[in-house]
Amino acid sequence: MIKFSNVSLIYPNSQQTVIEDLSFTVSEGELVLVMGPTGIGKSSVLRLINGLVPHHTGGILAGDISVNGISTHSVKPGGLAHLIGIVGQNPLHGFVTDTVEEELAFGMETLNMPSDVMRKRVEEILDLLSLAPLRNRTIATLSGGEQQRVAIGSALVMHPKVLVLDEPTSALDPIAAEEVLSILHRLVHDLGLTVIISEHKLERVIQFADRIIHIQGDGHTRIGTPQEIFADSDLAPPIIHLARAMQLSEIPLTVRDMRRMTQTKRKELVDGSVLAPIENSKTESLVTLKQVTINYGKKNAISDVSLSISSGEIIAVMGRNGAGKSSLLRAIVGASTVDKGDVLVAKKNPFLLQGRERTQLIGFIPQEPSDLLYRQSVADECSQADQDNHVVAGTTLTLLQELVPGISSHTHPRDLSEGQRLGLALCVVLSGSPKILVLDEPTRGLDYSAKKTLVSLLKEIALGQERAVIIATHDVELVAEVATRVVFIAEGEIVADGPVAQVLLSSPAFAPQVAKVMSPSPWLTINDVIEAMKRNQ
Amino acid sequence: MNRSLHPLVWWIWAGAMATAVAMTSSISIAIAVVGVTAIVVRNKAEETPWAASFSWSLKMGLWVIAIRVLTGVLIGVPMPGRKILTLPVIPLPHWMAGIRIGGPVTLERLTSTAHDGIMIASIIALLGAAASLSSPHRLLRSMPVMVYEFGVSVVIATSILPQFVTSISRIKQAQRLRGHESTGLLSWRRIALPLFEETLSRSLDLAAAMDSRGYGFTRKRSKYRQDRWTSKDYLLCGIAMVSLAKPELLVLVAAVSALVVAP
Repeated sequence: MIKFSNVSLIYPNSQQTVIEDLSFTVSEGELVLVMGPTGIGKSSVLRLINGLVPHHTGGILAGDISVNGISTHSVKPGGLAHLIGIVGQNPLHGFVTDTVEEELAFGMETLNMPSDVMRKRVEEILDLLSLAPLRNRTIATLSGGEQQRVAIGSALVMHPKVLVLDEPTSALDPIAAEEVLSILHRLVHDLGLTVIISEHKLERVIQFADRIIHIQGDGHTRIGTPQEIFADSDLAPPIIHLARAMQLSEIPLTVRDMRRMTQTKRKELVDGSVLAPIENSKTESLVTLKQVTINYGKKNAISDVSLSISSGEIIAVMGRNGAGKSSLLRAIVGASTVDKGDVLVAKKNPFLLQGRERTQLIGFIPQEPSDLLYRQSVADECSQADQDNHVVAGTTLTLLQELVPGISSHTHPRDLSEGQRLGLALCVVLSGSPKILVLDEPTRGLDYSAKKTLVSLLKEIALGQERAVIIATHDVELVAEVATRVVFIAEGEIVADGPVAQVLLSSPAFAPQVAKVMSPSPWLTINDVIEAMKRNQ
Repeated sequence: MNRSLHPLVWWIWAGAMATAVAMTSSISIAIAVVGVTAIVVRNKAEETPWAASFSWSLKMGLWVIAIRVLTGVLIGVPMPGRKILTLPVIPLPHWMAGIRIGGPVTLERLTSTAHDGIMIASIIALLGAAASLSSPHRLLRSMPVMVYEFGVSVVIATSILPQFVTSISRIKQAQRLRGHESTGLLSWRRIALPLFEETLSRSLDLAAAMDSRGYGFTRKRSKYRQDRWTSKDYLLCGIAMVSLAKPELLVLVAAVSALVVAP
């Protein structure tokens, strides 16, 4: 169905080839996962399939790509619209119309399909993706998962043979992600659709993949079944690392596989397991929320929330898309006023803090870290931060080089990869040595190695330097690794607040992979299991 | 389903009213019409990102008035009449003869520049009302194939404007949280750079998405649900046309239109 023969790609004004001599064939009805570290060219590979690269971006393409026998050299993306459906990284940026029904019809309108065909197909898709209750809704008011489903629907409605998705679940909570992926799985099996998907959160997708294209940093690419790839790939989800740590001979792709393979081993471990005691150090509270209520117009975002956070804690704020996580964070950092109740950070009202006083107390990394950056180069950005925070010149740059080595200080912040940009924003904020650090969805678009660096940094900040860290995130694996406490929000109310193991283990959807495998033992991370095995020996 | 007006109606209506305002050249009529329009916008605008266009156009209008009055008073030929105050004249090199900065300010000069400013501001406000009342996306789809390329660029530009507004406030807030108070010209540089970056990448995303969905590939387009002209649409356009024929009836026309669309 899709054939890449000796494809190499170089973008204009760049010395490095993005892809070198890539050849592979995808046959009909396959679900292929494209994986690799951030900024390696996964999106480029996906956009090559329908010719957006290089027709839309410029660049030189060598070799040939053909889809269903049509070469993308000769046909523009529009000419492949009936054959390939593509869903971008942020579906909201790609919507052309306002309402769900109109959006579904848009592609067919442009291809001049008769109106009765359109009516029939729209109804089909509404049923297939269970979008019928949303048909007249304004797209902007839908949740992330619903938007993703609309985007998939508006691609499917053209009856394409190939569906291409760029990180379809990276912005979604675990439940919405599962919804989207199970729909894809069904489409592949029922309709024989060919699906190409890229994703960082491998634990969510590998069980659905027939084959994996692993783009490695050094220009090499490996293609194989998940078993072949994960036999020795460093880039792997927790379950694979766990299997390696437990020295299993087979490679498990699902929690079920893993549980079957480890039945005896787990029994041995259970006896020796002890839940690490939770240190209940009652230090003075750094952040206090007293019966806080926030409304947006008539909508109630946060209602009657009380919370107290001390230094040394890493708090993960979790919940579904739109549950009120961001509103809570905004109240804590003083981005918005609250309608009722009090917010105190180090006994001060965060909304009134300004300038230096603010940067010493609160560091905030917004969902788009680039909002904070405005200088022309990394070096300028760092010296600006030094100047703002009255620290010795070079402090921020040194910090950055420790955290994310290998960034050229002349690079424009825009040209950094997602992870590098987050690193830069973090260093800018940290140079003010704030007492609390607040991060909104920091792991969107981060690969495992960048996440690892982030985890050790956050631990160092909170535990080593006696500060508090608050993270809003969907990433359960990150929470399992880093958090000391989890606050779970639903419909603007705190429904659970407690030590990380207690909260994560009590909810099957939000439990990390390791916990699902090792249940009922209360271990969240691979390290927990390794230590338990050591104790057992 | 509650059917709203044809997306072109408000633009035709606002265009006709704006022309009529320019034709009457009367401040009181202009202000009255803008007032009635404000009521219409308050009643009819839905909760959409572009609904804020009207209040933005009002703010822009105030700026226009201020700038027009300021330049009119400072620069240019003095108008004979009652002197209010005399500003010091800034000496200019002899080759700029005929241009004068400062000097006596007369009441006539002041009122005539204010008059011009208000006229321009009310025209901007009327077009802003049209922008906040009709969906740019629906407008795009009702474009005839003939003016299609042009229509696309205009509509993309107008649909990016509201995103622009939300992005500005988001970036401003992030900057404030970095400890930068957003005052003065310097803060503009801080906001402008991330803003343009984001707007550019969003437009590219949208263009790529439209491209890969076959937009512009065939000249012919079918319509899923035709935006049909209803009697109410014709009525509103007809009423607006009356104001073109008889500009002195403008306020009446505005009031009648407000009643026609009233729930």
